[in-house]
Amino acid sequence: MPYTLVDHTADIGMRVSAPTVEELFVEAAHALCDIMGGLTDHGEDAVTVRAAGIDHDELLVRWLHEVLFLVEVKGFRVSGITLQDLTDTGVTGMLAGSFSGAPLLAEVKAVTYHNLEIARIDNACVATIILDM
Amino acid sequence: MSGLTIRRLDPFRIEIARTPPMRTTGLVYANRAIERTLEQENALQQVANVAALPGIVGPSMAMPDIHWGYGFPIGGVAAFSRDDGVISPGGVGYDINCGVCCMLTGMRVGDVTPRLDRLLASLYNNVPAGVGSSNKSLAVSGREFEQVLELGARWAVKKGYAPPGDLDAHEDAGCIAGADPDAVSAKAIERGQPQLGTLGSGNHFLELDVVDLVADAETARGFGLFEGQVVVLVHTGSRGLGHQVCDDHVHGMVSAASRHGIALPDRQLACAPVTSVEGREYFGAMAAAANFAFANRELIVFLIRKTFEEVFGGSFERLGMRMLFDCCHNIAKMERIEWGGRRIDACVHRKGATRALPPGDSRLPERFRRTGQPVLVPGDMGRMSFILAGASGARETFYSACHGAGRLLSRHEAKKRAKGRKIIDELRSRGIHAMAASRATLAEEIPDAYKDVSDVVDTMTGAGIATAVARLRPFAMVKG
Repeated sequence: MPYTLVDHTADIGMRVSAPTVEELFVEAAHALCDIMGGLTDHGEDAVTVRAAGIDHDELLVRWLHEVLFLVEVKGFRVSGITLQDLTDTGVTGMLAGSFSGAPLLAEVKAVTYHNLEIARIDNACVATIILDM
Repeated sequence: MSGLTIRRLDPFRIEIARTPPMRTTGLVYANRAIERTLEQENALQQVANVAALPGIVGPSMAMPDIHWGYGFPIGGVAAFSRDDGVISPGGVGYDINCGVCCMLTGMRVGDVTPRLDRLLASLYNNVPAGVGSSNKSLAVSGREFEQVLELGARWAVKKGYAPPGDLDAHEDAGCIAGADPDAVSAKAIERGQPQLGTLGSGNHFLELDVVDLVADAETARGFGLFEGQVVVLVHTGSRGLGHQVCDDHVHGMVSAASRHGIALPDRQLACAPVTSVEGREYFGAMAAAANFAFANRELIVFLIRKTFEEVFGGSFERLGMRMLFDCCHNIAKMERIEWGGRRIDACVHRKGATRALPPGDSRLPERFRRTGQPVLVPGDMGRMSFILAGASGARETFYSACHGAGRLLSRHEAKKRAKGRKIIDELRSRGIHAMAASRATLAEEIPDAYKDVSDVVDTMTGAGIATAVARLRPFAMVKG
């Protein structure tokens, strides 16, 4: 899985890397679901997720928050993630899976903005995102 | 700590010199042992970042349980002028009014141990805990839920879940004035409503302790504490409702900060003037979430009292179960502070810090006027906790003190160190009985993951912020 956990005293950091910014959004959402225990192998449902923001950094946090809400509050368990549209101020994606409400492994309170920056390093898009646990 | 100029002022205080863009100095309460824990941390930079926000009054402070947070450091205390300062959701945190309450009992540890296994199992069954826990039996909705947000602990009393005497054992009598349920989003209500009356997970806990040392006999008597006494600590907050309120308003303030011309050293410090529309809306929503947390802890206390009644027979009053104190750890409050010889109306942010009023303070209920406010300092689950009393020196911290031991290890590192160990058995060998909804949570919360709370308390008492009253030793706990 293209993410690694990063030490943070109070919470958890995830460092996500992908060839493009679009793929970064997908991989970050996948990493978040993995940390929460919200992934599943199968599902017949699909949900459209949208978020708005002032730039890609904010969009990434808002997008991940929408995914978090869907998993924690709506009980959606995720089998696949595709990004449909990413502009400077908006993101739309599709999550496949099911509303099974299967137990989660970890409670993530929030996706924070702390020191967040989407950087391009060695032809990869990289972001370190701190989750409040 | 690169780029910061730090000097030790005395055995209990470190100053961070003011350098641009800081508007004031940083002041960190730390003895030498605490200072060593900061060497690998970014927490001091976070103290400096807070010092750069507009309208800050006095230094940007951190209590000795300081550690790396997001935006503000954990342990951070900062006051902003109500006239030209800011309010920041990140300065309160996602778990709004996460806090702790201490309930006294009239029982000695020897009264409890013969039925301890049954008591612990019953508490585990009766108090919903763990990831995604909900409480259908205490569910409320509609206008009733709005009253929870408006009234806090007063709602619990009104509904008969708590005796009226509990109220003056709460910070602000268990209700932050100015709550605006209309400023709480539908998403926040959907996320938090089913969780009223639940402990949650992470570092939240329910713990039975014995008073194993009384340091100040007169104040302990005033608090109703005696050696050998069993007390109950509960640590939880506003659950998903608070998480969502904070998230909604951080999002709104990222763009508001830009509109108001506020430069942010870290976007998580997103803020708006206290007097702005965004600032007022956040305060109303935050106060509502804080009131949810007061009600949440009271409902958990209700469940604990019922459990004690089931296990030991008789009423909770006959068992001597009364609230000592309930306080906020993550909050922003409108308070009148003293700085530079002036009294200033300020919005005081405490993120991982607690209020600490000294003897004689008119804001205290009559029962604490002579003693000062109880300051509850939970340690880790294997060592000890403390009860302190606010002292006159707390004027310099705008009447704030530490809130706990403070984390030393990341959750990731704690899990690595716990791998292969049987934490429940380790605790049992120390005479501590534990039940946990999740083994992973238990691993994250191992005692090694925290600073030695004695160092934290020594710093607070040495600096004259609080005085030691009693030491507690845990002997049973439920972890989320």
